[in-house]
Amino acid sequence: MIRDITIGQYYPGKSVLHRLDPRMKLILTFGLIVVIFLCKSFFSLGLIALTAVFAAIISRVPAKMILKSLKPIVIILLFTAVLNIIYTEGGTVYFEKWGIAITEKGINTAIFTMIRIVSLVVISSLLTYTTTPTMLTDAIERLLSPLKIFKIKVHTLAMMMTLALRFIPTLIEEIDRIMNAQKARGADLESGGLVQRAKALVPIFIPLMVSAFRRAYELAFAMTCRCYTGGEGRTRMKQMKLKFRDFAALFFLVAVTAGVIFLNIKFEAVI
Amino acid sequence: MSYAIETVNLTHYYSKGTVQQVAAINDVNLQIEKGELVGIIGHTGSGKSTLISHFNGLLKPDSGKVLVDGEDIWKNKETLRQSRFKVGLCFQYPEYQLFEETVYKDIAFGPKNMKLSEAEIKERVLRAAEFTGVKPEHLGKSPFDLSGGEKRRAAIAGVMSMEPQVLIFDEPAAGLDPKGRKDLVELIKNYRKQTGSTVIIVSHSMEDIAGMADRIIVMNNSTVAMQGSVDEVYSRGDELRSMGLNVPEITEIFAKLRAKGINVPANVYTVEQGENILRTLLKGGAAV
Ligand SMILES: Nc1ncnc2c1ncn2[C@@H]1O[C@H](COP(=O)(O)OP(=O)(O)O)[C@@H](O)[C@H]1O
Ligand SMILES: [Mg+2]
Repeated sequence: MIRDITIGQYYPGKSVLHRLDPRMKLILTFGLIVVIFLCKSFFSLGLIALTAVFAAIISRVPAKMILKSLKPIVIILLFTAVLNIIYTEGGTVYFEKWGIAITEKGINTAIFTMIRIVSLVVISSLLTYTTTPTMLTDAIERLLSPLKIFKIKVHTLAMMMTLALRFIPTLIEEIDRIMNAQKARGADLESGGLVQRAKALVPIFIPLMVSAFRRAYELAFAMTCRCYTGGEGRTRMKQMKLKFRDFAALFFLVAVTAGVIFLNIKFEAVI
Repeated sequence: MSYAIETVNLTHYYSKGTVQQVAAINDVNLQIEKGELVGIIGHTGSGKSTLISHFNGLLKPDSGKVLVDGEDIWKNKETLRQSRFKVGLCFQYPEYQLFEETVYKDIAFGPKNMKLSEAEIKERVLRAAEFTGVKPEHLGKSPFDLSGGEKRRAAIAGVMSMEPQVLIFDEPAAGLDPKGRKDLVELIKNYRKQTGSTVIIVSHSMEDIAGMADRIIVMNNSTVAMQGSVDEVYSRGDELRSMGLNVPEITEIFAKLRAKGINVPANVYTVEQGENILRTLLKGGAAV
């Protein structure tokens, strides 16, 4: 069933990571991603990998869930590894034939990139596992609010994002319903060539669009009825306040960054 | 002779293999005779829609079998395809499936998928439009320009035009006003009378079904809780209430009249029936 696809993969919990201020979590995530790209040696990258593992453990998100987030990138991982092994040359040569050379440097680079990508994915999926989509957009809105001075409508953008996220499951349900209705009228969605299949989507796509617009109008109407007028002068039900743990987390990021820079200088660079 | 539809130990789970796994229907054994008009009632979530989605192979049973015309529909690809044409399924709010440029083309969508000839398609579209009361001048219009009730009729015509042996309606009257409901009941009765095909109506409104069904199947907690004639089922009011269902209001009124010592029958299910009885009673005649 199409409904079984999970989007916005929040994993409910009460861990420190869950309770951390979402703004701080965003900053930490972006900070760590930048630091990942600063890594030059296996030692600094190892520190990041350890950090990712540490964060995964304290998040109390089951290892199974985290492995699941890695599943979609397995192909990319293998692909980059193979490319790296084939195209990077230098150091001891282990194997040479048909114009392909497998070298020490190639293998090192391949392993390095793999660890880098995995850490990247683990860290960013921890953000979505421990933060609900609404909290995330809320945090983005607040972090971007200084852009208001450039006349960018931050609130409107954030509201659009929230609504879009909210309606994904609804639309998926709708697609399911429409697909069933058209299949019941003998629509064949599974066979035929590319053109035929694209054509077969028309009876699904049009009713979906019609209903999406209908929902949008209804929602706009309902929001107007409840006196929604945009971000101007709106107060919040949930205030966000930075707590001690948020500053501790920030300190942690600074420490990791310093550690990475130190290890970069101290040890030989791989790439 | 084989049954129009038969299910054997039919079971279906949603979200299988996850913590939310639920048996939406559990070990259902049913036989539906050819030419019968069967009502399926049950509270929301009792598994009615899941059950009927098995009748034309939209859902695959997790265990058990569905036989249409005596043949297992999951035997091969062709039996599955045939089941889609033999069993027409008209979903709740069918107007949300309209998509073509014109009403005519939309009604023709099903027959076209059946690979019928142009002439045959045209004949069927016009027939279905007439049955459902889609006005001829609307056939060339965009379906999105019709009113709500007209859209519903056009959508029903889109299923009827396939001329299935079994026609299933899931909550056909949902969201219609009283007149719309009444018209729809007439439409279904008429269709049945003229074509003699098997009709299944899913509803949680006991009143709508009482007036037309030959037999009623009551679903509760994913299984068949009762089945029998209208009289048999509706006489078990207390059991129905315990399943979150209600006997029709008019039946309740007559039960109260009886409790007051007025000699009226207990098996009154439609307002029309009740009206006739009260009229004869008021004229001084005996209640029938
Ligand atoms: N696509 C689905 N995914 C998961 N659960 C579902 C789905 N459709 C229905 N259900 C569940 O299955 C049960 C039966 O639903 P349904 O057949 O729609 O009942 P009814 O039509 O009698 O209201 C309900 O508990 C419902 O929540
Ligand atoms: Mg239903």
